[in-house]
Formats: sequence, structure tokens, C-alpha cells
Amino acid sequence: MAMLNEYSGRNLPDYEFEAVKKVHFSPYADNGGSVIALAGDDFCIIAGDTRLSSGFSIYTREQQKLFPLSNTTVLGCSGCWCDTLTLTRILSARMQMYKHEHHKEMSTPAAAQMLSTMLYYKRFFPYYVSNMLAGLDENGKGCVYSYDPIGHCERSNYRAGGSAGALLQPLLDNQVGYKNQEGVDPTPLSQERALSIIKDVFISAAERDIYTGDGISIKIITKDGVKNESFSLRKD
Amino acid sequence: MAFMTKGDWYNSQAFWQNGPAPGAIYNFPGNTAQSESNGFQRSQAPITTGTSVLGLHYKDGVVIAADVLGSYGSLAKYRNCERLMKVNDNIILGAGGDFADFQYIKNIIEQKILEEECLDDGFSLKPKSLHCWLTRVMYNRRSKFDPFWNNFIIAGMDDDKPFMGTVDKLGTAYADPVITTGYGAYMATPLLRKAYEDNKEMTKEEALQHIHKSMQVLFYRDARSFPKYHVGIINKDGIEIKGPLTLESNWEVANM
Amino acid sequence: MSILAYNGGAIIAMKGKNCVAIAADRRFGIQGQTISCDFQKIFEMGPHLYLGLPGLSTDTQTVMERLRFRLNLYELKENRRIHPKTFSSMISNLLYEKRFGPYFVEPVVAGLDPVTFEPYICNMDLLGCLNVPVDFVVGGTCSEQLYGMCEALYEADLEPNDLFETISQALVNACDRDAMSGWGAIVHVIEKDKVTTRTVKTRMD
Repeated sequence: MAMLNEYSGRNLPDYEFEAVKKVHFSPYADNGGSVIALAGDDFCIIAGDTRLSSGFSIYTREQQKLFPLSNTTVLGCSGCWCDTLTLTRILSARMQMYKHEHHKEMSTPAAAQMLSTMLYYKRFFPYYVSNMLAGLDENGKGCVYSYDPIGHCERSNYRAGGSAGALLQPLLDNQVGYKNQEGVDPTPLSQERALSIIKDVFISAAERDIYTGDGISIKIITKDGVKNESFSLRKD
Repeated sequence: MAFMTKGDWYNSQAFWQNGPAPGAIYNFPGNTAQSESNGFQRSQAPITTGTSVLGLHYKDGVVIAADVLGSYGSLAKYRNCERLMKVNDNIILGAGGDFADFQYIKNIIEQKILEEECLDDGFSLKPKSLHCWLTRVMYNRRSKFDPFWNNFIIAGMDDDKPFMGTVDKLGTAYADPVITTGYGAYMATPLLRKAYEDNKEMTKEEALQHIHKSMQVLFYRDARSFPKYHVGIINKDGIEIKGPLTLESNWEVANM
Repeated sequence: MSILAYNGGAIIAMKGKNCVAIAADRRFGIQGQTISCDFQKIFEMGPHLYLGLPGLSTDTQTVMERLRFRLNLYELKENRRIHPKTFSSMISNLLYEKRFGPYFVEPVVAGLDPVTFEPYICNMDLLGCLNVPVDFVVGGTCSEQLYGMCEALYEADLEPNDLFETISQALVNACDRDAMSGWGAIVHVIEKDKVTTRTVKTRMD
């Protein structure tokens, strides 16, 4: 019916003009960035690079991509920055609401489930963000949750994500998970070793991934709170 | 609604023809639901546009600049458009991209400021708040696939500290001591970043000099630029928008 | 999906001290389906010259045959062994001849100079653009993973045994994070007076 009305034989004047070119609009942008999280027996370390970029332009060299949600939970985000901003703002609001309702802070596994639900809620217009949630679970053990943009969630002990995820993950398998190594007894990860692995792998990633670089910020989560560290990477 | 038009044993006849069912909303004849099924036109392209906006931190404030051209495609149509806006006594907003969208947002912001001043509570909007608010506005519109086609730079003093942030049409937002939009991102950023890294405590005059130089470079190479620009200066003493300043240029090498 | 990723596979080459190593996985598959686990992607083109051809398997074999043909002509005419550098130019030339209808392979060359026994590695894209770095080259569907591994594990001037360990770890761990590569691996370590070929056990899933 609509089709009939639209082309009912009338000759309308031609309003087309060549003055302005049509520009395609995409609601998503890839702003790059990489995040790594490692869990130990009584701590968890999460690190993210500080470069915010788009295409061949670097927007800023000092953009924090780690968002503390509570004393024992930190979220690392990379991907579409405008979605990251929106997602983290809603998340922190919901963390606050939970705190006021239950008079306690949300545990990391609970926050992990909430994030999954929030991502899936936007299943058909997703937040284009690769998330990584690091923290301590109810027993004080380190835990890492990683997500896909529509809310698939998995708990693990080490994970790399974002633009250099593919470069970093096999290295973590090898160095942290002791994969494909024979005759090594897997010693539990110490804080010092975790920290040096993170620095090493980020240096490697910055060599080959143009969306990773400038610097990294590191958050070390223990039962005593969150400690911040930073480390600079190549800036080209 | 067809069953309402003829009465039967169980239902009384409609009150009047073509009218709304009791409790429903009236649809004008010939216009029913059709306009909805055809959809509506969303803004798919900027029309009258402004080019780059530049901003730079200096020792105790921020300077921000934009030229005065409103381009209509490749036509230099409006040659005296101010693209810097004084929001209140410590915020300047600079806009690139679609001029109509900028004016629309400008109106909303002016209304916001007016309402705030009516409260007369001694508080005024801070640049960080405006930055955050604009991020939400831009993001909400992009989520409706109907974006405001702008790049904004928000500059001001936030608790006596210089602040400069930017938002684009998607709602991508960040704060940095050097921000440029449009072609400025390719041509002015390297100049301004170098200037800032060499001397993070530069004076207002030095900052203005760097901005002037960058505007000149842009005028030489950006085909949608213009040799007149406004510059905004924000520091703890307040704000000042100067201009239009004229860019001198030398085209002797060009074979005209 | 790219034709380059139709069959899957990974190849890597590294320079050591007076030696080079080249390694590849052994999977032959059609997209997600694995067909066999003993597919050859590295070919011996001379006593100190090895060629890896990751990409579309049919082109792997065609390019290898055509290169062998050209190589034989060269060596008959010149009556001497080809230099790896010359051989690379030969590949590059063959690929660029098909600039507008390319072979879907990204060759990796590893070898020793027949006169000086200087190590040489290089790779190129499917059009024949040469890249001759000093450390390592990678190719195939998991090149990102391989780059990550190599950047972290690689050291200059490794002895043959250490080089074998490094290249195997890099390849196997990278393949484990790629669905289209793996299912066994083969490593050749090329030295002046011997070539050691080892097959490496990997996860088979």
C-alpha cells in the first residue's frame, strides 16, 4: 500500500542536488587498546595500555582503560570507546545501587554476572567492547572474567583481550599456563613474576600492534585494596 | 478498528465514522499509519560545515581557536560564522562539523545556562559537567542512528585547573592537553603536541603564537579553511573570545 | 572469508648463529574440517634451502612445482647452487607475474648462502613484496599469534638446539590459539654440514 502511494504516477519536481556528498554513518568505531589480567592465589593483576586511537590517528596517549568498580573488582575495557564510557557509567551506577540496597559491596562473581546480563540486554545493538573483569572472589582468590561483546562470560586465571589479544594470549598460555612445556612443575604465580610477564608481553605487543602503545597502567588487587603502577611503552 | 464501525448485537455502532475508538487517538484520514511505515529521514550527512577546531593548554589556562567559514560542500558559503561559544564565565565550547546541529545544541545549552542562573545559588556549570553532558547527548543521538554531526571541544577552568575535553558524533570523549579536530588532527596535532612537550608551562602569548601558526598551516593546506578565526582564552580571571583575527599568507610561490 | 584462510596453516622461520630454522604445522583442512595431519608445506629446494608456502593448498603445490621448474633451469644453466637471495627474487618475480590474478600463498624462505653459509630468511606477500628482516618471519592464518610469540621469545645468535626449542615453542603455542592450524608440526634446523628435521607432537584438537 505504501509502495502504491509513493509512486502513483505523479511527476514531482526533482529536488536532487549535487552540492553535498552523502557520508556513511556507522555507530561504531574501533578505538583499539589491549587489556591483560592475571590471577594468583591471593591477588589479581590487571593491566591496560593507555593509547586511545582511531585509524592512523592517536587521540590521546594517556587514557585510562581500567575502571575500579569496588575495592576488590576492576574492569578493563577496549574496543568502541563511546560504548565503553556508557557501559562503565551504567555499571558504576548499578554498583552504587546495590551497595545502598544491600549495605555491602558487590562481590566480583556477582559483578561478573551482572556485566554479562547487561551486555546481553543489548544483544541486537551491542556494546562493541571487549571486557575483562579482574578481582578477588568470596574466598579471596584471584579471578579473571572475560567477555565477548554480547555477554558470553568465562572465568579463567589469565587472559589477554583487545586489539593485541591474539598476540598476547598464546604467550600467556606458554608462560603462565605452562602449556607445551615438559618437565616443569607449575609453580603458583607470584606477584613479581606476574608483573614482569605483563611488562614483557606488552612490550612485545607494542612492537607489532599499532593500537597498543604509549604506556600501560597496572592495578594490583589484593585484600588490602588496589595498588596502582604504570610503565611506559614505545610512543610511535 | 474495523469491527467498531458496524454495530452488531454485542457491540454498539461507532459513535462517529473515521473517528477514534473510545480512548484511542484520532488519526487524520489518508494519513493513517502510512507515514510511520514509510519511516522518516535521519540525518545522514552534514550540510553546512565548519572545519577544524584547535585547543591547547598553557601554564594557567587554555586557548582554543576555530575559523569563521561555514562551507556548503565545496562552496565557501558563509564567511562569518562564529564557531566558538561562550557558555558561561568559565567555559568555551568550540564546534566543528554541521553548523545547524551546532546551533541547535547551542540553543539548548543557552537555555540550560539561563535556567541555572535563575536559581541564583552561586553555582555555575563546570566544564567537566558540560563535557559529560554533551557526551550523553551525542551518544544518545548516535544510538538512534540520528547523530549530531559535530566535533566539540570544551575548554574551561575546573576548580582552578585548566580542562579541555572533546566529544565527537559517536559520543567518543576524552580529555587531553592538546586536542584538534578535522584536518587539524593531521596537520596541527604534530605542531601543537611538540610545542606542548617542549614546554608544558608556556605562557599565554606563546600558546597564542602556536595556535596562530597552526591556523596558518591549516589555511595553507585545508581547502575548507578561511584566513579569519576566533580565539578563545580561558584562565582563572575569566574568559575572552577575540576575533576575528586575520591570518597573513604568502602565495608568491603559487603560479596564479 | 579470505581465500588465504581456506585451508589454514602456519609457517615460521628464524635466524640463529650460523644456522636457520623453519617450521610449519601439518594440517590440511577445508575451512573447519580437517582432512589430513601429514600435509607438507615446507619444501627442500636445495641442500641449504627451504621454502614454506602457507595459504591456499592447491597454490602451495602449484607454486612449489613451478618454482622447482625455474630453479632446475637456473641451476642447469648456471651450473651452481642458487643463493637464497636470488631464489627469493625468483619467487617474487613469479608471484608478481600474476599480479592481477595472484597465487594465494605467502612464501617464507630460509636457507644458508651456498658460498659463505650466511643465514638468510625472508618472506613476502601473495603479490611478491619482499621482506628481509634480521630476526624472524612468519606466515599463515595465525601470524598474529606467531608475531606475539616471536617478539617475546626470540633472541639473536641462538645455537641450533636453542633455536629449535624457541621456534617450536613459538609455533606450537601460536597454533594452539588458531583453529585452522596445528595437528602436528615439523621443524627443520639448517646448519652448514647438516639439516636436522624433527616432527613435533602437539595437541590434536
